[in-house]
Amino acid sequence: MLRSQNWKQFLEETGALSRFTSRLFSQWFRPQYEISEFLRQCFVIGYKSLPLVMLTAFIMGLVLTMQIRPFLVDYGVESQLPAMVGIAIVREIGPVITALIFAGKIGSSIGAELGSMKVTEQIDAMEVSGTNPFKYLVVTRVLAATFTLPLLVMLADAVALYGTYLGVNIRSTTSFGLFWTQVFGSLSFGDVLPAFVKSFFFGFAVGIVGCYKGYHSKKGTEGVGRSANSAVVLSSILIFIIDLIAVQITDVLGLN
Amino acid sequence: MSAKTFSNIKLGLFVLAGLAFLILLLYMIGRNRSLFGSTFEAKAHFLNVQGLVPGNNVRYAGIQVGTIDKINILDDGRIEVSFLIENKMKGYIRKNAGVHIATDGLMGNKVLEITPAAGEAPLIEAGDILENRSSVNMDEMINTLSGTNNDLAVIAAELKSTMTRINSSTALWELLNDSSLSRNISASFANLRSATARANSMVDEFGGLVANVKKGEGSLGALLTDTSLAGNLNQAVLQIRTVADEADTLAKTLSAIAGDLRQDISHGNGAVHALLKDPAIVQSLHTSLDNIQKSTQNFNEVMEGMKHSSLVRRYFRKLEKEQAKKKEAPENPSR
Repeated sequence: MLRSQNWKQFLEETGALSRFTSRLFSQWFRPQYEISEFLRQCFVIGYKSLPLVMLTAFIMGLVLTMQIRPFLVDYGVESQLPAMVGIAIVREIGPVITALIFAGKIGSSIGAELGSMKVTEQIDAMEVSGTNPFKYLVVTRVLAATFTLPLLVMLADAVALYGTYLGVNIRSTTSFGLFWTQVFGSLSFGDVLPAFVKSFFFGFAVGIVGCYKGYHSKKGTEGVGRSANSAVVLSSILIFIIDLIAVQITDVLGLN
Repeated sequence: MSAKTFSNIKLGLFVLAGLAFLILLLYMIGRNRSLFGSTFEAKAHFLNVQGLVPGNNVRYAGIQVGTIDKINILDDGRIEVSFLIENKMKGYIRKNAGVHIATDGLMGNKVLEITPAAGEAPLIEAGDILENRSSVNMDEMINTLSGTNNDLAVIAAELKSTMTRINSSTALWELLNDSSLSRNISASFANLRSATARANSMVDEFGGLVANVKKGEGSLGALLTDTSLAGNLNQAVLQIRTVADEADTLAKTLSAIAGDLRQDISHGNGAVHALLKDPAIVQSLHTSLDNIQKSTQNFNEVMEGMKHSSLVRRYFRKLEKEQAKKKEAPENPSR
């Protein structure tokens, strides 16, 4: 889409992606569930991303705390630091940063994997052998991405809050109990639930874009690289667009 | 197709950890919002809830005990605030407790504060309406402060102009720079002190005097304290009156005499009448005076003649010399 030279190509791409998505939904609920493949994908997509996500989340929590701190000290509300950073992490930083890392790691790997399968005609072979390749390859990956990203976001929140706790303790001292009370005292369901719900959509966007780009990869090695690359770029952009829509919806619902 | 290259245990651990944190997060928030655990409802009525919203905290003597549940407007315009309090607080809150809306910190969230009141009262029950004891709210306080601020601005402006005038006044600065002033002032104070001392001693003396007068010592004392004085005075007054009576009769006698005299003069009896009224006497007096004048002239001539006569000339010379001496004497008194 980003490489589209004109509107026609952009619209074509959008239409193809929409059709791909509707095909996914039509396949989703049909019998012949690939449970074990779904679990394997969950392991690959979710568990294998955990170290990366946790590292970035920890660093984000720590850095954000240290960056905001001088500003709050200026206003004399340094004691609000845990509450403020806690809200920022749970509402926005946790879901979006995790989703971006997730897009970088999973979007590219799905794009490359399916792309190379497409290029080497494994997908066609699968069809011949009687396995529904769409169900086996696409549905499991999209579902795995959709369901593991929220869990990753939750764990990232936890690690980022721990990073925040350490960040607060670098310059001043707070007990873990007080930190805990302050963070949870400032949080409400309106902070946690929209963030949790939108991370499903982030995961879905990453999964579906990666699968689409891989499934429709062009021939040759170049095509695989291109589909991996464009999967990451498009899913990252979609994450921000979904975030924009999500904030509007939560605002309309009065959850902000 | 592909081999099982993953561990179900690790995946399960990952999923459980993620879900556990989500549930923990939701539970902690829910506990803060009093959604779990048993609660009971109480109410309070306000005219103005100052921005209190459902979900705000309820505190009893500063402890978090619940949250605001509903805010409804009643038919009479009052606002009914329903709030949930944890059941475990039932044993502490009494029916006579008051509620007011407070602010968490200076600019923080609104909280509903339940304050215990003195005196015996039964424990609170579900559905009780607690008494509203709203005190000053922030807006009113800020309004008052802004009024005070305006006054302060006016005062500051006036002070400023006063200070400018003081600064521009040369007389005052000369006065302040004058080093002799302090000496003068201290001298004045010394004078004042001695004057006061004198006044003090004067007052003392006067006091003594008054004491003496009271005791009847001295002439004034005698005057004021002597009881016989009044009798004497009375007598004197009586005598004065007798004298006045006598003077009266004297004046009458004198007046009669004067009347007789006038009678005599006007009716030509006696010398006075002749002297005053007779024109012939005036004539003769005239001639007599003429004669006297002539005689004096003659006498002068005679005397001049005598001066030149050898018999008495020596006497006159001697007289002239004495007169010359007298004139010289006062001019040279040291000689």
